[in-house]
Amino acid sequence: MSKRLLLGGVLVGLAFVGMIDSSYVGLSSLQGFVVPCEIAGGCEQVLNSPYSRISGVSIAWIGFVFYGWVTTCAILTVFGFPRWLQFSLGANIPAFAFTLYLLYVQAFVLRAFCDYCLLSALLVTLILGFHLFAKPWKSAS
Amino acid sequence: MVKPLLATLFLIALALGVAAFLVHRNQSLPDSNSSLGSSASGLDFKPVVTPKGWTKGNPAAKTVLVEFGDYQCSACGAARQTVANVLKNHESELMLVFKQYPMESIHRNSMIAAQAAEAAGRQFKFWEMHDLLFLHQRDWGDVPDPQTFFLRYAEELHLDLERFKQDLWDGKIRDKIYRDILEGQLASVRSVPTFYLNGSLMPRAQGDAQFEEIIADAIKKAK
Repeated sequence: MSKRLLLGGVLVGLAFVGMIDSSYVGLSSLQGFVVPCEIAGGCEQVLNSPYSRISGVSIAWIGFVFYGWVTTCAILTVFGFPRWLQFSLGANIPAFAFTLYLLYVQAFVLRAFCDYCLLSALLVTLILGFHLFAKPWKSAS
Repeated sequence: MVKPLLATLFLIALALGVAAFLVHRNQSLPDSNSSLGSSASGLDFKPVVTPKGWTKGNPAAKTVLVEFGDYQCSACGAARQTVANVLKNHESELMLVFKQYPMESIHRNSMIAAQAAEAAGRQFKFWEMHDLLFLHQRDWGDVPDPQTFFLRYAEELHLDLERFKQDLWDGKIRDKIYRDILEGQLASVRSVPTFYLNGSLMPRAQGDAQFEEIIADAIKKAK
């Protein structure tokens, strides 16, 4: 199996999980579902907080758009267009910066962590790692 | 270029489908504590949630909604309006019972907030304090000394402040709260708000419309 196929496949897999994770949170918020307070704590404090929305829209949908874009670029890579990884890397860098901001908010502002958000943070980091491993900027030069 | 785009669209649709299925499954499943009717030991153990507590609505109503709530919980704060709307729509057919379930492990000021509501209750202003605590939960929720906020609310409600201060730390009030907590624990309350409708655990509603639907259905059945 070529490196291109392997990388593209892994990125498709990671982004697919990310799409499910983000759309689950997004669809739940669309239904007006308020996360109840569990004894273990965490999600309700994060997902019911004002940081979880921008102009009333759940930020999970921003994540969904990001993962959808990574999926598109990774599939194009699998089909023989590896240059598209540059575009997904272009989206991955601000996504990683936003992830760091959200981790900061959870750790120091809300003092609570949400499993769905932590999964997304892990996926964004792994996707960035695979992009750096693939070095798409080299294929551009 | 068509094949990759089709594959992308397929994956996006699949991810949305899986997420929608998970949301729907979560919606149709009652809470994890709903399996109490038949315990793992095989005993037919059914917890009894009593309709004793702070009540609102028609005391003679055949439909009784019991809420276990925590004043520092944002989900309980959001549920306050939902419950108020349902009660307004079915004023003569529904009785609401509120029971204290402060989760101190995650909400550090929840216990003293419950004490404040109970202390106001001794001066016949429980529901007024209940509403103020929920409305302003972001103000007092994470402060080191929430008492100053509660005293301000007591003043707003024209309570006897000296008596309120004494009652706030009264052991009997704390005992009453612990009895509510114990009842909730026996009924395996794991999250708040948790509702019991006519003694049975109410399935988790997704939004106001579904909450109203469940209550209206129970009222119709009780007739």
